[in-house]
Amino acid sequence: MTAIDQITTPARRRSWQSVTLWAGIILVSLHVIVGLLTLVWTPYDPSAMAGGRLEAPSWLHWVGTDRLGRDFLTQIMIGSRIALTVGIGAVAIGAAIGVTLGLLAAFASKFLDDALAAALDILIAFPTLLIAMLVVAASETATLGSAILALGIALSAIVARLTRILAKRVLLMDYITAARTSGTSWLGIVFSHVLPNIWPTLSVSFALQFGLAAIAEASLSYLGLGAPPPNASWGRLLQEAQGTVYTAPIGAIAPGIALVSLVIGINLLADGLRDSIDPTRRAR
Amino acid sequence: MSLISRRNLLVATLLASAAFSPLAFAQDYDADATIRIGSLYEPQNLDNTAGAGQGINEAFNGNVYEALFQLTDAGTVEPKLSADYKVSEDGLTYTFTLKDGVTFHSGEPLTAADVKYSIERVTAETSKSSRKKSLSTITSIETPDDKTVVITLSARSISLPYNLSYVWIVNDKAADITATEDGTGPYKLEEWRRGSALSLARFDGYWGDKPTNGEVVYQYFTDATALNNALLTNAVDVITSVQSPDSLAQFTGNSAYTVTEGASTTKEILAYNDRVAPFDNVKVRKALARAVDKAKLLNSIWGDYGTLIGSFVPPTDPWYVDLTGVDAYNPDSAKELLTEAGYPDGFEFTIDTPDYDPHPLVAQFLQSEFAKVGVKANINIITANEWYTKVYQEKNFQATLQEHVNHRDIVFYGNPDFYWGYNNPEVVKLIAGAESAGSVDEQTAKLTEANKIIAEDAASNWLYLYPQIVVSASNVTGYPVNGLNSQFFAYGIQKAK
Repeated sequence: MTAIDQITTPARRRSWQSVTLWAGIILVSLHVIVGLLTLVWTPYDPSAMAGGRLEAPSWLHWVGTDRLGRDFLTQIMIGSRIALTVGIGAVAIGAAIGVTLGLLAAFASKFLDDALAAALDILIAFPTLLIAMLVVAASETATLGSAILALGIALSAIVARLTRILAKRVLLMDYITAARTSGTSWLGIVFSHVLPNIWPTLSVSFALQFGLAAIAEASLSYLGLGAPPPNASWGRLLQEAQGTVYTAPIGAIAPGIALVSLVIGINLLADGLRDSIDPTRRAR
Repeated sequence: MSLISRRNLLVATLLASAAFSPLAFAQDYDADATIRIGSLYEPQNLDNTAGAGQGINEAFNGNVYEALFQLTDAGTVEPKLSADYKVSEDGLTYTFTLKDGVTFHSGEPLTAADVKYSIERVTAETSKSSRKKSLSTITSIETPDDKTVVITLSARSISLPYNLSYVWIVNDKAADITATEDGTGPYKLEEWRRGSALSLARFDGYWGDKPTNGEVVYQYFTDATALNNALLTNAVDVITSVQSPDSLAQFTGNSAYTVTEGASTTKEILAYNDRVAPFDNVKVRKALARAVDKAKLLNSIWGDYGTLIGSFVPPTDPWYVDLTGVDAYNPDSAKELLTEAGYPDGFEFTIDTPDYDPHPLVAQFLQSEFAKVGVKANINIITANEWYTKVYQEKNFQATLQEHVNHRDIVFYGNPDFYWGYNNPEVVKLIAGAESAGSVDEQTAKLTEANKIIAEDAASNWLYLYPQIVVSASNVTGYPVNGLNSQFFAYGIQKAK
C-alpha cells in the first residue's frame, strides 16, 4: 500500500460507512413508523372492500386495490407490522434458545460439547425454511404465533453455534482465569465477562437474522403456512397477486419492494453497526 | 373497451363463424392436421379403474375408448356402441344389442363378452373407479349371443344408460391397460411420454365417421401460467382450463385467438357441517346465505364470467331451476333470522379452506360479509390431502370451501352420510325415488322437487358456478366447450389450411 492510500482510505471508508448506516436506519425506521402507525390508523379498514376489482393506483387508492377491492396500501402497511413482529419475535426466541445452548456447550465437558456441536451442525444443514415448515406442519393450525416460533427455532441453531465459538474464545483469556481464581462463580463470569465481550458480534448477527426471518416469513406465507388470512403478510399478498401479475402487476411489485426495502435496510444497519462497534475494523 | 364487451364480441363472432363454417370452410381444413391440446391434468396411468385421475378421461373418453352410451357435449345421453336396448316392464332387466362392424384397435371384433368384461372391471373389488357405487345395483350380466348383453338389476336404475356412458368398452383379451390400450374409438394411442405428452393417431379401421384431423397430442403442464404461455408461443392450439379471468386479458381482443365460454358443472360452495350446531339450524344457514353478496363475489373472482345458480344444480342438468331468488342477498333479513335462531349477537366458526386459488380469497370475502351480520368466521388453511382426511373422511369440521366438479351430483344431498351431513328424509326419499323412477320425466320431476327443497333448506351455501373457458388459436375450430371436467372429444376439431 502506498502512503497516500493509508492516509485517504480510512476517511473515505468512514464516510461511506456512515452513509450505509444512515440509509439502513432510515429504511428500518420508515418500516417501524409505518408498522406502529397501523396500530392506530390505516387509510382503510384492511378487510373493507372499499374499491372495485383490481383498480389502478389513484388518489383514493395510492397502490390500487386487490381482486376483492381492498386497498393495497393498507395491506402493505400492515405487512410492515407483521414483518417486524415476526422479525423481533423470531430473533428473540432464537436468541433465548441459541445463546443458552451456545453458552452451555462452551462451558460443558468435552463430550457434551462435541455432542451439542454435532447436533447444531446437523440442524444448520437443514435450510431455515424447511425447519420452519416442519414446525408449522406439526402444530394444529398455522397462526402468526406458530410461524414466529418455527422461525425462532430455526434461527436458534445459528445463534447457538456462533455463541459457542465466541464464548469459547473468551474463556481462553487470562482474565477469565484470573476471575476464576479470585472466586467468581461461572454464572458471574458469564454475565460480567463473557456476554459483554461477545455481545457486539451477536447483535450484528441478530440484525442479519432479523432480515432472514422477514424473508422466511414471507416464504412461509406464500406457501400458505404463515399467518392465516386476513393477516396481510407480504408473502400472502405476493401469492394472491400471482394470478393477476399480467393485468395488475403492481399487486406483486409493491409488496416485493416493501420486503426488499426492509431486508436491505436491516442489512445496511447491521453492516454499519458492525463497523462502528468493531474497534479493529474501525482502526483499519 | 371493457372485458365484457370484448368478450361478447368474440362470442358473437364465434357463433357467427360456427353458423357459416359448414358452407364457407367445408373444404378448408387440413384433414391430416395435428391438434395440440394444452392441459394441466396428466394422467397417472392409462386405466380409469386404476386411479389414473381426471386427465385420462379428458384424453381417452370418446377418443380412444367408447362406451355403450355417450354423454354429448350438449349434455344428452346418446347410444354409442349400443345399437338398441329394451327395458323390462319392472325396470330390472336391460337388454342391449351391440352395433355391427365395430373392431378394437388390435383388430378383434367387439363382442358381448367384451362388454361384460368391461362393466365387471369397473364394479370389481379392486376397481378405483368413481362410478363403482352408481353401478352397484347390477346383480348379473349375461351374454346369450355375441351381439346381446342382458343386465339384471337389484333395484330400478333410471340413470343406468348415463352411468354406462362412463364405462369404457375394453377388449377382454387386453391384459394390462395401465400403459397401453385396446379400445374402439376413432384414435389409437401413439405414444405416451410421461411428464410431457400423450399422442393419439387416427384409427383407420374406425366404424364411424372419420375424425377431421390426423393426430391429437395432449401436452401436459404443471402450472397455469406455463399453459397460457404455451398458447401464446404457438406451442399448443387449444387450452382447456383457464384458471382466472386475468390470464384471459392476453387473448381477448386479439384476433389470433378465440375465447369461448361454455357450460360448466363446477360449483364453488361453502359447505356447512349440517350435523353440528349452529348449522343444524335452518335459520342460521339461510341467514348466512342471505349475508353474502354473491354477485360481487363472482365478479371479484371471475370478473364478468361465471353464473349464479342459487343451488347445487347447474343449468345443464335436466332438473335445473333458477333458485337465485331463494335467500337472495339481504343482510338485514340475515340479522333478523339470526336473532330468531337465537344468535342475536352472532357466533364464531371456522372455515377449513383448501390452500389453492380461489378458496383463500373466497374465504376472506365471506369473512368480511359475515362480519357485517355479526358472525365471526376464522380461516384455517389446509392442503387438499388434509381436506380429504379431515373434512371428507372424518367429517371433523364446521364449514369448508370446496369446488364440486361433477354433473348430476345433487344425489349427494340424498346421502345423509356424505361429508356435509345434510339429512332431510323427504329429500332422501325423492332422490332414491328418482333413481327408481319409471321414466326420465318422473326422474326429472322428483329431482327438480329435491332441488327446490335443498334450496329452501339452504343445505349449503352455493356461491357460484365457475365459467368453462376454452381458448384456441383462431385457425382451430370444432372443439367441445361444455362440461370439460370428464371429457374432451377431439375428433371434430378442424385446423384451417
